[in-house]
Amino acid sequence: MVHSVLVLGIGNDILTDDGIGPRIIHQLEKEAFPSPVALKTATVGGLDILEMITGYREVVFVDAIKTRDGVPGTVYHLTPDNFRETLHLSNLHDINFLNAIELGRKLHFDIPETIHILAVEIVEDRVFSESFSPPIRKKFPEIYNEIKNFLTTRLQEID
Amino acid sequence: MKRITIDPITRLEGHGKIEIFLKDDGGVGNVYFQVPELRGFEQFCVGRPVEELSQIVTKICGVCPGCHHMSSGKAADAVYGVTPPPTARKLRELFYMAHYVHSHIAHFYALAAPDFVVGPTADPAVRNILGVIEKVGIPIGAEVIKQRRLAQEIQALLGGHQTHVVMNVPGGVRKGLTPEQRDSIVKTSEGFVDFAKFSMNLFKDVVLGNKDYVNIILNGPYSLKIHSMGLVDENNHVNFYDGKVRVVDTEGQELFKYAPHEYLNYVAEHVEPWSYLKFPYLKTKGWKGFVEGKDSGVYHATPLSRLNAADGMATPVAQQEYEFMYKTLGGKPVHNTLAMHWARLVELIYSAEHCLELAKDPEIIGTDLRAPLDKIPTEGVGIVEAQRGTLTHHYWTDPKGIVTKANIIVGTTNNHAPICMSIKKTAEGLIKKDTKITEGILNMVEMSFRAYDPCFSCATHSLPGQMRMELVIKDSQGKIIRSVKRK
Repeated sequence: MVHSVLVLGIGNDILTDDGIGPRIIHQLEKEAFPSPVALKTATVGGLDILEMITGYREVVFVDAIKTRDGVPGTVYHLTPDNFRETLHLSNLHDINFLNAIELGRKLHFDIPETIHILAVEIVEDRVFSESFSPPIRKKFPEIYNEIKNFLTTRLQEID
Repeated sequence: MKRITIDPITRLEGHGKIEIFLKDDGGVGNVYFQVPELRGFEQFCVGRPVEELSQIVTKICGVCPGCHHMSSGKAADAVYGVTPPPTARKLRELFYMAHYVHSHIAHFYALAAPDFVVGPTADPAVRNILGVIEKVGIPIGAEVIKQRRLAQEIQALLGGHQTHVVMNVPGGVRKGLTPEQRDSIVKTSEGFVDFAKFSMNLFKDVVLGNKDYVNIILNGPYSLKIHSMGLVDENNHVNFYDGKVRVVDTEGQELFKYAPHEYLNYVAEHVEPWSYLKFPYLKTKGWKGFVEGKDSGVYHATPLSRLNAADGMATPVAQQEYEFMYKTLGGKPVHNTLAMHWARLVELIYSAEHCLELAKDPEIIGTDLRAPLDKIPTEGVGIVEAQRGTLTHHYWTDPKGIVTKANIIVGTTNNHAPICMSIKKTAEGLIKKDTKITEGILNMVEMSFRAYDPCFSCATHSLPGQMRMELVIKDSQGKIIRSVKRK
């Protein structure tokens, strides 16, 4: 069966909480979903992401985020429209993912029609460690269930 | 004293902050470039088998994982006192050339070209890769994506994964190439050479064909007279994978050439209280501060410094372009910061040509992939040229090969002092009394460090991840009196 939905966890799994995306994906790999889902991980954005998401009908990014005064463990559900105001800004090493998506559309790539971004508020992403910070470790089951429930609901809607 | 801050106000990763302190008369007083530093990697390595490190270090940086993999693999060879067989060495180098091709294509089209193809003071809404494609056409945009992807595929084929590379083991590599795979790489590499030449011609047409751009490169505030570092082969030609590190002074005279295990005799690191990141300098010159000139200890390790430090390129078309660049810019060494983009394209041609040479080499499909390990592991250093500078991995182990200590000097760290100096010099050249600080000015300050292709962090995935910039002018009490935001 062809996978129509990609869930892509982004982050560095040896950089404390930065690895929340990949860790969520590894946990999801143990679940059974109602329709076919591709579960993947990546460490970088930009053009690599463009190539990874091409061909899927829908993509759900799971990533870490830090916001001012954010509560650790909060899961934000965002769409590309939330970033529209920063769409044309540059990135030091590569293009940002919104530019990558626009580039893909311009080049007639088969870009997903629907894009969700599940961003988890984290605490620490500057120290190398294979363990989460205490607040994220404590809240991980809650974070995981929230993301899993989102996916389950979304996949039922698609079916 | 007034204060200007250019600060990414969202997150994610380790993007820098530029602080420009204005004097009371409105001119630039001082400039600080600060970067958040990732901590604890050396400690993270301690207690692990040294052969595991080449896989772990690919996670230090999502931008140049192949560089860390190669430097780490070579350090592990040195720890065991073993030399990989010719086929293994050539396979590693083939992987590495593909890594260079994909990285240099990305930098030129996504990061350098917007400033030149679209324009340094153009509306930021169009000063990006999308604006570049608007100018050069969709077929070229598609070719950029295609060539970059093909280079990634070679890395994935040889390395097991394009990012989390598992290619190297002490004394060699895990797997070889079949003749069919080799044939495919030959064909792909021929395409790299064509595309590299095309990219150079595009640069010549768009940049060298524009008097204003040439003027910015030659006469703008983008120049820094410092020493040049680069890895060279036995003929003093540029080499990314192996050889000795050569350093030439501001006049182009060789200061010294050292083997990897000698690096501590030649490079030391200075510490400033305002930055967690250290400032490497030439030990023989000593740290004299953030100053230019023959007596300074400051050097750079960039595409331009690699060409400055070498006597030439090891492949024919790259050599022609090397000669043309220096002839056009008035001879060696070149100190124009923006010429780094030109040098990067010379390197792109070399990478593509060498990729093809290696793929055609009969030994590349050999089956002798690993030398036996018959010595007790102790200590070893591995050096390669990362795209962003000379990369050094140094490991110490116990007799069982368990790491007891590690030291890493990453590519961009070599350029920390030059980047700070370049930003200051550019800001001083562009911001005078009563200068209206526009988005264009802000971008032209950024251009001075973007030329170095800096890489300060590993967690470079980005959601949102854009380098949102805000320029804030504060008075001496810290009160914001004016701000400029990028829209």
